[in-house]
Parts: sequence; structure tokens; C-alpha cells
Amino acid sequence: MTDTEYTPLPVAPQSHKDAETERYHTFVNLALVLAAITGVELVLVYMPFHPIFIFTSLLALSLFKFVAVVAWFMHLIYDKLILTLAFGTGMIIATGTFVALGFLLSRKWVDLDAITQF
Amino acid sequence: MSDTEHQEDSHGSLVINNKKLLMWLFLGSDCMFFGTLISTHLIYRKLYPESYDPLLVFDLELTSFSTFILLMSSFLMALAVSAMHKGELKSFRRNTIGVIFFGLIFLACQVYEFAHFTNEGLTLSTNTFGSTFYMMTGTHGVHVAIGIFWLLCLYFYSYTGKMDAHESAVDVEVAGLYWHFVDIVWIIIFTAVYLIEYIPGLH
Repeated sequence: MTDTEYTPLPVAPQSHKDAETERYHTFVNLALVLAAITGVELVLVYMPFHPIFIFTSLLALSLFKFVAVVAWFMHLIYDKLILTLAFGTGMIIATGTFVALGFLLSRKWVDLDAITQF
Repeated sequence: MSDTEHQEDSHGSLVINNKKLLMWLFLGSDCMFFGTLISTHLIYRKLYPESYDPLLVFDLELTSFSTFILLMSSFLMALAVSAMHKGELKSFRRNTIGVIFFGLIFLACQVYEFAHFTNEGLTLSTNTFGSTFYMMTGTHGVHVAIGIFWLLCLYFYSYTGKMDAHESAVDVEVAGLYWHFVDIVWIIIFTAVYLIEYIPGLH
């Protein structure tokens, strides 16, 4: 198949193109930051720091990467609030499930052996 | 009309596209799905820390490389969506094929990792660690494979001449949302499953 077999898409308005070009620079910068953070994470686990410090740092870095991809790559900061709410609801329930399960199964009064026998 | 009703979306539209809204709702529900899988893995890891030592099989350099590849594929996906909104079909194709290529590299790394783990004796039925680990990362791998198939369909569809400037841009954006989601799930898995195992004295 060649490029001559399709009708070219209509040209987008100039203001639209300018906005997309501006976003292009944001995407490049963000990609560089994300790559750098991944490198930092890799090095961090081998550093002779306190485990709690490493754990907290990893958590913060991964949260930053998560939010950055959702906000910029997925355009959530440019989009309508209802889309943030749609996604946020799922995130809140997922986090709540994790916290609730972690809390429940860390309690000493829960008979874990009885539960895990199933 | 209120300010909210006048609020434009990321590409100047005043209304919410049904496909986009549906995809965001799906991603919200998929969050719950992966949230449960990751929770299950971490809780069993906490309950039975002695059941298996993952450091015997983990290769952090390989996993970091996979993470980097997936992040860069997300970057290319963002460029592909942007190109489509600008009506630049060639740029869309170039970036999309890059995303597909990176996605395949990620899957190849995962297949290699699974084969290595199996050779080392860690299978789905070895212990709770194996069960929850394969279930979680395998489900993520299936999501990646679906994303690659979806992007391949869009790539070949772009040669049919049937692409509409507005609707096709939305279709590509929706596929992009799915791909970015696959990336953010891996960001969490990379930290919660792989990296924390390397912190001395945490378990």
C-alpha cells in the first residue's frame, strides 16, 4: 500500500496546531523526566540509606510518574472534570480496597489459617 | 450556560465524546481490577514472607529496561495522538509503528522473564508468590498484547482512506488512553512488586 491510496486528512486550524506543538515540547520534557526518574529508582535501591527513606522515596517517585502520565500524556489536565471524576472514582475504590484488605489481614484477631484454607 | 458547560476539552470540543467517556469509565473499572490483583500479591507477600525469595530469580536491570521501554512507548503514543489531531497521517503512522515495536519488545522481555522463572522452578502452582505474581503480571501482559493488536488495526486502517479527521482522531485518542493506562499500571507494579524487594530489611 502507498500513501497515494488515501485521501489526506483536512489541515487542522493554525491555533490548534500551535497548541499541539506546545504540547509536543511538554511531552518531550516529560519523557526525559520519566526516564531520569526510572534511573534514579534503579540506583536508589542499591544505596546505603535507611529502608524507610528508600521506601518512601520510591513511593513518591512512582506516584509522581503515575500522576504525570495521567495528567499530561492522557491529557487529563486539559480535559473536562467529569473524566477526572470517572477515573478518580475507580482509583479511590482500588486504593480503598488495598487499604481495607491490608488493615483487615494485619489484625491479630483474624484467623488467617482458617481463611487461607479455602 | 454555566462555565462548566462552556469548558472545552483537550482539543477544543465543547461536548464530551461518548467514546472517550466510556474509555475513562472502563479505565476506572480496570483500576479496581488491577488494584485487587496488586493488593492480593502484596498481602500474601506480607503474610508469607518466607514462602519464596524473589531475589533468587528477579533481574532488576531487565525489568528496569522493560519499564523504560514502556515509558518511551507512552511518549510515542502521545505524539501519535497529537499527530492525528494535527491531521498529519504520516507522523501518526511513524509514531504508532514505534509504539507497536516498543510494545513487542516489552512482551518479549516478559516472555523471557517468565521462561527464566519457570526454569528456576517458579511456576503458577509452586506457591502463593508464584500464583499471585504470574496472575498479576500475566494479566498486564495480556493488556499489552490487546493494545498492540488495537494499534495494529488502527495502523492498517489508516491505509484504507476511510479515516475521518475528527472521528478517527478520537479513535486514536481512545486507543492512546488505553495504552497509557497499561503504562501506569506497570509503573505501580515495577515499584510495588520488583523494587521494594531490593530494599534491605523491609520484609
